[in-house]
Amino acid sequence: MKTLRNLQGPALTLALLCALWLIVIVGLLALKPSVFNLGTVTTILQFSTILALVGLGQGLVIVAGGAGIDLSVGGAVSLSAIVAMLCLKLGLPPVLLPAVCILAGAMLGALNGWLVNGLALLPFIATLGTFFVYSGAALAVTGGAAQAGVPPWLLLWGRGVVMGIPLPFLTLAIPCFALAGLVLMSTAWGRWIYAMGFNERSARLVGIPVDRVRFILYALSGALAGAAGLVSIAWLGSGRPNIGQNLELESLTAAMLGGIAITGGRGGVGGVFAAVLLLVTLKTGLLQLNINTVWQVGIVGALLVFVLLADRLSQRWRS
Amino acid sequence: MNVVRQLGNGVFSMNGREWSLLVACLVAIVIFSVASPHYATSGNAATVLRNSVELLLIGLGMTLLLAMGGIDVSIGIVMGLAAIAIGRVLGAGGNPLLALIAGPLVGALLGCVTATVVVIGRVPAIVGTLGLLGVYRTAVFVLLGGQWLSGLPSSLTEVLATSVLGVPVPALAITIAYLAVWLALRRTPYGLHLLAIGNSEEKARLSGIPVIKIRFMTFVVSGVLTGIAAMFYVATYRNVEMTIGSTLALDAIAAVILGGTSILGGRCSLIGTVLGVLLLRILQNGLLLIGVPSLWQPVVTGVLIIGVLGFEAVCNRLPLGRFQRARA
Repeated sequence: MKTLRNLQGPALTLALLCALWLIVIVGLLALKPSVFNLGTVTTILQFSTILALVGLGQGLVIVAGGAGIDLSVGGAVSLSAIVAMLCLKLGLPPVLLPAVCILAGAMLGALNGWLVNGLALLPFIATLGTFFVYSGAALAVTGGAAQAGVPPWLLLWGRGVVMGIPLPFLTLAIPCFALAGLVLMSTAWGRWIYAMGFNERSARLVGIPVDRVRFILYALSGALAGAAGLVSIAWLGSGRPNIGQNLELESLTAAMLGGIAITGGRGGVGGVFAAVLLLVTLKTGLLQLNINTVWQVGIVGALLVFVLLADRLSQRWRS
Repeated sequence: MNVVRQLGNGVFSMNGREWSLLVACLVAIVIFSVASPHYATSGNAATVLRNSVELLLIGLGMTLLLAMGGIDVSIGIVMGLAAIAIGRVLGAGGNPLLALIAGPLVGALLGCVTATVVVIGRVPAIVGTLGLLGVYRTAVFVLLGGQWLSGLPSSLTEVLATSVLGVPVPALAITIAYLAVWLALRRTPYGLHLLAIGNSEEKARLSGIPVIKIRFMTFVVSGVLTGIAAMFYVATYRNVEMTIGSTLALDAIAAVILGGTSILGGRCSLIGTVLGVLLLRILQNGLLLIGVPSLWQPVVTGVLIIGVLGFEAVCNRLPLGRFQRARA
């Protein structure tokens, strides 16, 4: 019974997401047919890259259980982008910019990991605290001003498009997801992550290095946030201190829509990927229909609540 | 038994934590007085107290939520929505008494919404309220229609800015609210039930405590207190801006954690929350006066939360730690 559900779960999620996605597309097609061209696809994928990277980190942290959640992702995206641009101003060789950006994110994530593991703070309160520290620091250090001076070769990558697919999406988001999927499905690490998410106590008893895995996942979530910050720099041509705004909500919604259980141990990265595309298509569609952007955060929030309630209800029906 | 002792310690008398908060408040006042000539004035003291009114009320609700092992990050925007309701009633020339009812009513309704999602729907409080935060933020924008609610009639202000027997109405309302909650915690089973749920929801359920009822009620109480806070907000500022309440939830969580209420549930301190609110507002006001840009405020608050929790965690590891958590 358990295996049946596990097999059905992700496939069911994917099917549902595809259906929803088609509904959004058909609705958009009916309301505004002129939207449909290669340019829109490129825009959607361009917007998806940042959310996909952040959502992947968020999803992995949640799957590993222990009430795992990373509310600081948005702040980490902003702060790592700002730190990298400030380092550039202080004389860092431009070649190192990508490395510094990802490293800064990894450090911020590692701090989360240490608070959760080392000090045994509850993940939601620790990352809520760091969320305000990171996003606040990004704004306060710059006074809210965007940091310009991105090297031209980075813009070339950030804005490059191959066959309608943006380069960052092709070279960063897809490989990250493929790698994460591979690790989760067919390595011991993947088994460990699911096992500790499903039942941490038994995972510890069979000798899985739960603390080490969890620390690495938080650091990885930070590093992915750093990579998202890098994409934002390369795409927008400047480091913006508020680029990570609302990403904690959107990444959570993507992870939950993607079929990851909030309690951990269930779900996969394929669903997260599909959910990210769905969310960004929805947002782009609303934008194209000239609906005020303030509706976006409300719709994403409502989706999050709805998905969680639906998940609970379906669990109650099953049992 | 542990719970009973904690209740006595936390709610009744000042414990070490609360004394050290009081000392921290005084030390902060002395330092800021030396650093800025504008600090130690009666006008500034009034400002700090004035700024604490909403946070004291919202912090009271947050104390109950955190002690129960819950949280509500949407509470600041709930105050915004309640303030909009009050503003609309006043703007339409409504009776100020009607406005007085509108605030707590909207607060209670939104508390019911949150409780339905979190308690009945069994969604983790942090994720559920984060989703609702997004919905409420859109609601604030849509209801305000892109512009501030400003220049509201002063009828509500005239009601709430008076004094009864020489005590300003806000101080009276806060005292009554704290006394009522203190009595509920101390003199009714509610207090024991709340802390028991905070310690372990499963154990509380198994020992026959009406967990769902208590949790639902606590979210509604927090909503009502937020609605009352909205009343004082509108009465004081007579306008409602777009960003209303955006940092209130964080401030409330920080103040409650500073005050010694355990985020793991099972321990709560009302005196601690009052002192936590005052310390937070003293710090924010003082830092502003010595020239730290207000953009740094969320950073300071976030560092306070992590710092206090980290300090407690380290103390817990030491043998005979003074901040040893009660785990019944």
